[in-house]
Amino acid sequence: MTIASEVLSSIQSAFPGAVLDSRVESDRRLWATIDSNKILDVCKHLSSKHNFDHYSGSAGVDWIARKEMEVVEIMASHGAHQVVAMLKIKTPRENPSVKSLTGLYWNANWYEREIWEMFGINFEGHPELYPLLLSDELMGAWPWRKDYKGYPDLTTGERAVEITTPDGYTQYRIPPTPAEVEAGTVVLERPKYPSFREREELEIKSDSEMIMHLGPQHAMVPGPFLLDILVEGERVKKAFLDVGYIHKGIEKIMENRTWLQGITYTDRMCYVASLSNNECYCGAVEKILGLEVPQRAQYIRVILEELSRIQSHLIGTGEFLTLVAGVGYAPWQYMIMDREKIISLIESVTGARLTHTFVRFGGVRNDLPEGFAEQCKKVLPYMKSRTEEFIELFAQDPIYSLRMENIGSIPAETAKRMGCAGRVLRAAGVAYDMRKEDPILVYPELDFKVVTGTRGDSADRIDVTLREILESIHIIEQCLDRIPSGPIKTEAKIPKKVPAGEAYYRVEDPRGEMGMYVISDGGDKPYRVKVRGPFYATFQTLTPLLEGVYIADAVAIAGSMDGCPSEADR
Amino acid sequence: MLKIKLLKNFSWPLKIATQEIEITRLYPEKMMELPAAERGIHELDATTCIGCSSCARVCPNNCIEMVHFKFGSPLKNKKMQFPQIDFGRCMFCGLCVDECPVECLKMGKKVIMAGWERKDIIKGPEFLATKRFSAKEVTDLEAEGKRIAAEKAAAKKAADAKKAAEAKNASKEGAADANGAAKKKAAATEAKPKEGGAA
Repeated sequence: MTIASEVLSSIQSAFPGAVLDSRVESDRRLWATIDSNKILDVCKHLSSKHNFDHYSGSAGVDWIARKEMEVVEIMASHGAHQVVAMLKIKTPRENPSVKSLTGLYWNANWYEREIWEMFGINFEGHPELYPLLLSDELMGAWPWRKDYKGYPDLTTGERAVEITTPDGYTQYRIPPTPAEVEAGTVVLERPKYPSFREREELEIKSDSEMIMHLGPQHAMVPGPFLLDILVEGERVKKAFLDVGYIHKGIEKIMENRTWLQGITYTDRMCYVASLSNNECYCGAVEKILGLEVPQRAQYIRVILEELSRIQSHLIGTGEFLTLVAGVGYAPWQYMIMDREKIISLIESVTGARLTHTFVRFGGVRNDLPEGFAEQCKKVLPYMKSRTEEFIELFAQDPIYSLRMENIGSIPAETAKRMGCAGRVLRAAGVAYDMRKEDPILVYPELDFKVVTGTRGDSADRIDVTLREILESIHIIEQCLDRIPSGPIKTEAKIPKKVPAGEAYYRVEDPRGEMGMYVISDGGDKPYRVKVRGPFYATFQTLTPLLEGVYIADAVAIAGSMDGCPSEADR
Repeated sequence: MLKIKLLKNFSWPLKIATQEIEITRLYPEKMMELPAAERGIHELDATTCIGCSSCARVCPNNCIEMVHFKFGSPLKNKKMQFPQIDFGRCMFCGLCVDECPVECLKMGKKVIMAGWERKDIIKGPEFLATKRFSAKEVTDLEAEGKRIAAEKAAAKKAADAKKAAEAKNASKEGAADANGAAKKKAAATEAKPKEGGAA
């Protein structure tokens, strides 16, 4: 098995002088600052020699005091080894520019676009450097830089000026006031690029083609995102995705809140997976602080996260069935009825139904209430029998299988290359699960297997999801048997100011691999929090998947991914 | 074969229909039973609150403001400042409850807070305080406070009988300092919500 120090020495011997600074945190984490001219060669070397075939994302960091910006490339492997290499590239703050990795890794596209629009770091060789999450109004403001002055006040419509465009559309513009220009809160120079509509219209080649809008408000989507499909007859020729309709800027908000307050914001990224998000953030901070979590707290966390996974899978499947069946809310009801039991269990511990804010640094908020184990032992066998029933129901239904089988299928190699996460990846047959790859808490002691599919199509994704519920039930049953008594919070005092440091922590979200990159500069607030969301990764693969399918299948494919645009947009 | 499968599928909803199902649709007639750990509307024990404004400082949304309230303990809470919560902004995270040093703030099982106007859901200590003193008890406590203060002063006077004049000067200075600090603190608490609103 490859370990971090081996990877580091391999880079150093292959490219002398390329590694400017390095730190081997553990066998699984490598931090290295790479010469920005050699990053492409280093990445090529890593992917060919050391199986770093998983580009897990990248983060931009603005080091305003050092007058430089950093792009951190997060590289991992799909199961060949467990090393996560965090490769940093530095670039000056004036005219920042780094080399794009889109040529090597297909999925680097969105991550780099996001860094470009948020920090203004140019990516040389990027094929489509267009805004992703931000609106056109804010382009050029570079909002995640540390010297960003804030939004102009656009809350009143009185300032709006009506403009008629050459095409005959009416547009409204809000001209900046002199005070705002002086304060530097408005953007005066915007980068030039074709707008979303212009890019779409460029692709229309003949009169028989037209563009159909699915979204931003559409029955298909669980949250707002715009999916435009270019259709010729019943076939989709090309799909265009516009996200950012619920971009909340959570990463920036967390920079302005104390460490403890940050936990509440992680809930809001995706409310059906809020315990995993809590865990991810708290785990990263615990890593910086060097805190040990008591055994009992670890078990409580695992139990609740698995319960949360069950309810997330149920709501995801129910939603999906509503979309594809088109019979209103009948299938949804069955799932919601069962989910209610799980939610009640979680609520009895955390006190909240959805946004739990339950995990704390070095422990959990509450202990399990009396009679929780008995309640679990009542609900879990019921859930098990129901889930088995669901699986049987889906397997035997001829209409369902006609509708779902071989729809939107991804081969394993493609899924790896596209960097999908969670059920989409596992349905394709790649056993990639953070609970095994990057084990946290008490997961190494527990017995469970990673559920995989074979065909990677929509039917497989739902099948994998349902069988994962069974695995989760198995995990909870083991935890309830083994849970020790003891404290639920660490005895160490948690300081208000976290010592300077950085950590990357990964958990298995219900939707797949979720990572948080947290940097502390020694203050009472995080310096930077980067969220590597699982659905963001999967979402990117939607457009190529939709090429060449029927219009009706677009819903089946998008729905089977169990989307949460709220978490993708953050 | 296909027909058998389809028939089997129809048997399923029939099975479900016979079950008794509890979901929230019973709501207006019958409230769901909430667990003991429920994080609902806050409950303030005004008899023990010390007015430290820890809850206001830790609140991620700055929805807590310290306001004057008559029916608290003047012995523990000298400025009689108690939390007022804007439930329009509150996200029920419970950080304020965890932070409270005397455990006077709790979250109860009450969850209904609808109002006609935005200001209706800004709930002051009047609404939040589940435990409070009556007006008579407050005056008694105030009298007791005065008595204790007087006793202390008397004891001090007796002890420092020789340096009475100096002691008087010192206490005046001390009082002036304390007043200054209080003003600063009040200004800070006033400024906080404004910042939050802008952010």
